[in-house]
Amino acid sequence: MTRYVVGRLLTAIPLVWGIATLMFLLVHLAPGDPALQYITPGMDREVVEQVRANFGLDQPLHVQYGRWLGAMVTGDFGYSYSMARPVADVVANAFPNTLLLSGSALLLAFVIGIVLGTIQAVRQYSVTDSLLSVILLFFYSMPGFWLALMLVLSMSLFANAIWELPIWFPASGMTSADYDLMSPAGRVLDRIWHLVLPTSALSLALAAGIARFMRGSMLEVVRQDFIRTARAKGLPERVVIFRHALRNALTPIITLVGLYIPFLFSGTVFIETVFAWPGMGRTIVDAIGTRDYPLIMAASFFFAITVVVANLIADTLYAVVDPRVRYD
Amino acid sequence: MKKLMLTVATLAMVACGGSDVTRTVSNDPFCQAVIPAVDAWLAEARASHPAPADDRYGGMAVVAAVGEIADGMNSAVARDYGATQHQQFINLMTLIDYDDVAFPRPYLAESWEVADDQTSITFRLRQDVFWHDGEQTDAHDVAFTYAAVTNPETGYANAAFWDHFVHGEAGVEVLDDFTVRIAMRPHADPMDPFRVLAILPEHLLGDVPLSELGRHPFGTQCPVGNGPFVFYSHEPQSRWVFEANPAFPEGLGGRPYLDRYVYRVIPEQTTLLTELLTGGVDVYIQPTPDQARMIIDDPDLDLVNFVGRDYVYVGWNARLPKLADARVRQAITMAIDRESVVEALLGGYGRVANSGVPPFHFAFDPDLQSPVSFDRERARALLTEAGWVDRDGDGVRENASGERLSITLKYNPNEIRQTIAELMQAQASEIGVEIIPTMTEWNTLVGQISSEARDFEGVVMGWQAEFRLDDMDLFHSERSDRMFAFSGTNNPEIDRLLEAISSTRGRDASRALWAEYQQEIMVEQPYTYLYFRDRLAGVNSRLSGVVMDARGEWVNARQWYIEPDVR
Repeated sequence: MTRYVVGRLLTAIPLVWGIATLMFLLVHLAPGDPALQYITPGMDREVVEQVRANFGLDQPLHVQYGRWLGAMVTGDFGYSYSMARPVADVVANAFPNTLLLSGSALLLAFVIGIVLGTIQAVRQYSVTDSLLSVILLFFYSMPGFWLALMLVLSMSLFANAIWELPIWFPASGMTSADYDLMSPAGRVLDRIWHLVLPTSALSLALAAGIARFMRGSMLEVVRQDFIRTARAKGLPERVVIFRHALRNALTPIITLVGLYIPFLFSGTVFIETVFAWPGMGRTIVDAIGTRDYPLIMAASFFFAITVVVANLIADTLYAVVDPRVRYD
Repeated sequence: MKKLMLTVATLAMVACGGSDVTRTVSNDPFCQAVIPAVDAWLAEARASHPAPADDRYGGMAVVAAVGEIADGMNSAVARDYGATQHQQFINLMTLIDYDDVAFPRPYLAESWEVADDQTSITFRLRQDVFWHDGEQTDAHDVAFTYAAVTNPETGYANAAFWDHFVHGEAGVEVLDDFTVRIAMRPHADPMDPFRVLAILPEHLLGDVPLSELGRHPFGTQCPVGNGPFVFYSHEPQSRWVFEANPAFPEGLGGRPYLDRYVYRVIPEQTTLLTELLTGGVDVYIQPTPDQARMIIDDPDLDLVNFVGRDYVYVGWNARLPKLADARVRQAITMAIDRESVVEALLGGYGRVANSGVPPFHFAFDPDLQSPVSFDRERARALLTEAGWVDRDGDGVRENASGERLSITLKYNPNEIRQTIAELMQAQASEIGVEIIPTMTEWNTLVGQISSEARDFEGVVMGWQAEFRLDDMDLFHSERSDRMFAFSGTNNPEIDRLLEAISSTRGRDASRALWAEYQQEIMVEQPYTYLYFRDRLAGVNSRLSGVVMDARGEWVNARQWYIEPDVR
């Protein structure tokens, strides 16, 4: 097992290097110039050249590539021009925020998906099953951006200003503006309160997909012999479903985790924009818009690593959950 | 059990994940050194300068906009509007500021004197201004800042500011600790740059090589200002937090009323409006014109609007034979119903522009009759007179040699600019001019128009005018190789007026020249000037004392206050 993981990690190195190099070329060959982001009528060509030189962009491409690769290997991601701070610092700020958002969304999606999928399977062809199918398909087919805006409108604007409900949620940000003045318990609550809308927007569509998978997987399991045996033994239905069927039906679902992790990171781009969440998705989009080469490179490098690691986790989990799978 | 575990896991993630420190402090060594110094000084200043007994002191205001204050508080490299505003009015200080009719008044400099021969300005500084780490602000800070921004190595974006000044260390002399003299050549409006340029602390940045000044952590990680608000924290792409400076000079109004000022970044405008309507933010900078109605209709909100300094225009490349004749450019402008463009695009929140002189400016001539106002008949006549006639009946005019009057109009991906290009296309076709809108990515577009080849025919662009207006770099024929002199204007009368304006002192003396210049520009039509956009802001009425005008949204932030019952 260890050998397998180490082997996978080793083969990942050239893969990540290849992705990063390709990104470097794409980004530098695409039109654009970070020194021309802001222009004023009196701007001087020399000033533009100077700004370029201060950014290190006056060097030939292969020199820039060599410098960048050398720095990258030693863990120096360079300086972000658009954010005016070291790239490592930008990523260190944004990555945990995305992790928190996508982690909560993933968790929520799986809890909702598994619960609803199980209910549907147990009550196959009932009114509940059909109704849930319709609702789930509705969320599944809704564009994430639109769903996010609708949540802002209904749960924040209307709930607060028009319906004047006792419970409403903030439309943006990770914490309130006076967060640092709150009590420790107040801070935790403030964070959860701010997490509700973005997490829901991100996880509802996912949950719908997972529920469909879960339903299918569960239906397959309940038809198997050992379930019939369990029922024949006279076990209560609750035990049959939860202890015997559910555990086996979960195996294929767990491998979905690995598949969804990279999706979650790209899915956060819209959600982070709508909810003003200072995470990686927004960082990379803004960086592309401002031609912030070092930041684009570092962020895509991070995404590449995330995808590789997520796939590795998925494959490993598979072996852990299903004893029949062995990587020796 | 499983559910319990999930709950615990969620809580653990919420508590540990993210940046769960109450204050984001950079781990850069520079910041690690200055932040404690600022904290210590602030604690002491609070103890020695308790807030006066007045109900208005206290509370927190939240301002939000779609963009980050990208360049932070580093005035040597700042380019974006939000950054200069925060430097001028929140965290740092400029030598002078402007009153509401844009006359210079003392700020960091308590007085100044322009030499009789117009070759220098001597500033005498206040002696009660301190950097937020306790050092006193003095003439050495001014000298350092001036020498840095006038040195090309720094890459100061608005280098044209210093056209008429002596550059680098040679241009500035410290006469004593609080007196500094800056050398220049005689020119009009020499004070304006000192309204924009915020002074930087020499004791913190003096040893930084100029080419590295732009990437110093001072800018976005731990600025140390001397202005009315002290930097507290900055979470990138999320928020800046500032606290009242209790020791801000009494002579300038003393401590700001607000305890705390927060700037939030909310990139999606629907979300921003929601936050304003639900009370999450107090000021929404630049709502869209269609959101203005909702803000006006809400009893708790006020809509502030004022004529901005930025104008949108279509620039023509007069170097091309088909656009060289001013009559062609005039005709195209006359074909455009600019009043309706303002109505349609900005919901009326804007004003038709006839030149780059903004309506609030002293040089603006309100009596000017535009010779190019909307008139299709005259436009057609002008084109015919210039030799452009539809000879083959395809609806597009040709000249004698059969060249069609077809113009490519470039714009960058932006909904408003695209609409402008399409409106131009539709309206110009009425007079037999074919306009072909072409979307070009921003950086590419700027590269094309500023290149020596001037690879464009028409372009939709915008400029932000300063209070000190100077079109030299845009339209003077001797400067036609400047980056943005893409119009290729070559008009001796305009040259003469631009020169006269830039050397005439005093507003009254130059007003007549300005009127003449505006008249001449309308005839020349290097650009089809479209409009000055109003700047809008949605303001929660619990925030009192808010003044916003062409000087900026933050111009009197230190006088904003919140009554105790609505805090």
